[in-house]
Amino acid sequence: MSDYIGNADRLNPESNRSPEMSNAADIPRAAPSAATPPGAGVAVSSSAAASRPTILFEDVIDGLGMSEVWRAFAWDEMQQRYRRSVLGILWIFVAYAVFVGTIAFFFAGFAKMGAHQFIIYVALGYATYQFLVGNITDGCQVFSASGNWIKSTTLPYSIYVYKSIFRSVFTVALQLLVALGVMIYFGWRPTWLSLLSLPAAAIFLLDAVAIQYFLGLFGARYRDIPHLVATIMRVLFFMTPILWVREEMRGIRATLADVNPLTHFLEIFRAPLMGAEPRLSSWAVVLISSAVIWLAAAIAAWRMRRRLPFWV
Amino acid sequence: MHSIHAEKVSLTFPLYQRTSASETEAHPIPFTEDDRLILGKDGRILAVKALRDITFTLKGGDRLALIGKNGSGKTTLLQVLAGIYPPDAGYVATRGRATNLINLNLGMRSEATGHRNITLKGLAAGRSREEIEEKRNQIAEFSELGRFLDMPVETYSAGMRMRLSFAIATAFDPEILILDEWISAGDAAFKQKASQRMQEFVGKAGILILASHSPDLLIENCSRGIWLDKGRIRFDGPIRDALEAYAAETRGAAQKPRPANRAGPAPVDGARARS
Repeated sequence: MSDYIGNADRLNPESNRSPEMSNAADIPRAAPSAATPPGAGVAVSSSAAASRPTILFEDVIDGLGMSEVWRAFAWDEMQQRYRRSVLGILWIFVAYAVFVGTIAFFFAGFAKMGAHQFIIYVALGYATYQFLVGNITDGCQVFSASGNWIKSTTLPYSIYVYKSIFRSVFTVALQLLVALGVMIYFGWRPTWLSLLSLPAAAIFLLDAVAIQYFLGLFGARYRDIPHLVATIMRVLFFMTPILWVREEMRGIRATLADVNPLTHFLEIFRAPLMGAEPRLSSWAVVLISSAVIWLAAAIAAWRMRRRLPFWV
Repeated sequence: MHSIHAEKVSLTFPLYQRTSASETEAHPIPFTEDDRLILGKDGRILAVKALRDITFTLKGGDRLALIGKNGSGKTTLLQVLAGIYPPDAGYVATRGRATNLINLNLGMRSEATGHRNITLKGLAAGRSREEIEEKRNQIAEFSELGRFLDMPVETYSAGMRMRLSFAIATAFDPEILILDEWISAGDAAFKQKASQRMQEFVGKAGILILASHSPDLLIENCSRGIWLDKGRIRFDGPIRDALEAYAAETRGAAQKPRPANRAGPAPVDGARARS
C-alpha cells in the first residue's frame, strides 16, 4: 500500500520555501507542542512534522500536561456507565466483594496454602490481573472509540490513553480496597516488604501508557487485532497463576506460567503483599518487557501515528 | 500577527478496504474518467487524491471563502488547515490558535448535557475552569438555549447543536476560525447574529475560513474566494469574482448536453435547464 501513500517526504517543507513566508518557513519542523505556547510560535502540520522518531514522547508529555481534560473525559464515561443506577460507581466495589466471596466459598479448599491465605491471594491477584489485561483489551479500542474527538480536534492522542488508564485505575483501586479489607480482616499487617509493591504499581502505570498507545494504533489500523487479542487473553487467564499457585505446580504447567509475562507482572506486585520476596527473575522479565513495549510503541507512533485520523 | 500558510499541500485519502465491488459487479456502471481515483489491479478504489498542490497565505483580518462542488475537497482542506490531517506533501504553517467547526456531530459528548459540553470543550481548548465559568453565561445567552443546556445534547435538534457549537467555538477567543457549510442550518435570526459575531472576530485581526454553498452568506462574511475543483485551486481572488467564475461554470455545465455514456441521475439544476 505504501506505493501510493508513501510519497510523504517527496515534498520536504524545507525545499519549498515561498518568498512571502520565509520567516515562518524557517522553522517548518517546529512541533505544535507545549514548548511553543499557542499564539506565540508557528505550528507546522506536515508529513515530516507528524512522523518524527520522537513523536511518541512529545505526544505523551503534551497529553500528561492536559490532565484536566482526560480526567473530565474519564469521569464522564464512568458516570455515563452507571447513570440512573442507585449504587452507581459503588457497583464496582460490590461486584468485586461478591466475586471474592464466591471464590472463597468454592475454591479455598483446593490450595495447599490455607484458606485465608488463598482468599487474599485471589482477591489481590484477580484485581491486578484484570487491570493488566484491561490495559491490553481497552488499548485495542482506545483510539477507535475516540474517533469522534480525534477527527475534530488537535488534542494530543495520548489524552485518550490517559483517559482509559485513569478509568481502569479507578476501578482497580476500588477492587484493591476490597482486597485490603479482606486482608485486614484475616489479620494482615503491612511490613517493610509490602512497600516493594509500590515500584511494581509504578511500572504498571508506565507500561499501560505504551501498551495502550501501541495497541491503539494497531487496533485502529487492523480491525482483527481487538478480536485476536481478546482470544489470546482468554487463554492467558488459565496460564496465569490467579486461581492456582505457581509454586504448587510441577512440569508443563509451571513452565507455561513462567513463559507468560503476566505471571511475572503479577508476582512483583502480589508477592510482597503476601509477605514473600518476588523472584529476581520476575523483576528482570518485567523490566525487559517494559523496555520492549516502549520501544515498540515509539516505533509504531513514528511510523503509523500520522495516519491515525484516517483509521478511526 | 496571526497567519496561516498552506504550501503545496496535497492529501491522498486512503480507503482501507472500505470500497466493495460486489454491488456493481453484475451491472457495471460506465464511469467517466476521474484522475483523482487511485485504483488497484482489480479495479477497486484504493485511495482518492483529495487535495493537490494547494498554496495560499492568509493574514490577520483575512476572510476566506471556499467554494466548489460537493466532493471538491472543501471539507478536507478545512481539516488539513485545522491540523487534524497532516498533509502528505507540503505543509501548513499556522501562527495563532485555530478553532474549527467542521463536523457538527463530532467533538461533543452527546450523552452529556449542554453545560457539561461547554466545560469539556473549554478544557479541550486549553482553558481553565475559572475562564470557562466566566464565559458560560455568554455562551448560554448567545446560543439562546436556556434550560435546554441542562439536557443531553443528543436530545437537541441540528439547529440547536449548531447554536451551541458556534457559541462555544467563538467564546474562547479563537484567533483562526474554520467553519464548514452547516452554518447555513441556522434560522435567519441566528444567521444574522452569527455574521455579526464573525465580523467582530475578524475586526480583532482574526482569520476566518468559511466553506459554504450560500453566495449571500459568503459575500456578507468573506473578502476572498478560493474555488476548489477536484482538489485543486481553480480560482483565487476577490469573493465576487470567485463566485461569478464558479457560477459561470455551473451554468455552462447545466446547458451542455450530457455525454451519452454517463450514468447516474442528472443533477437537479441540469434537469431543470433542459425541461
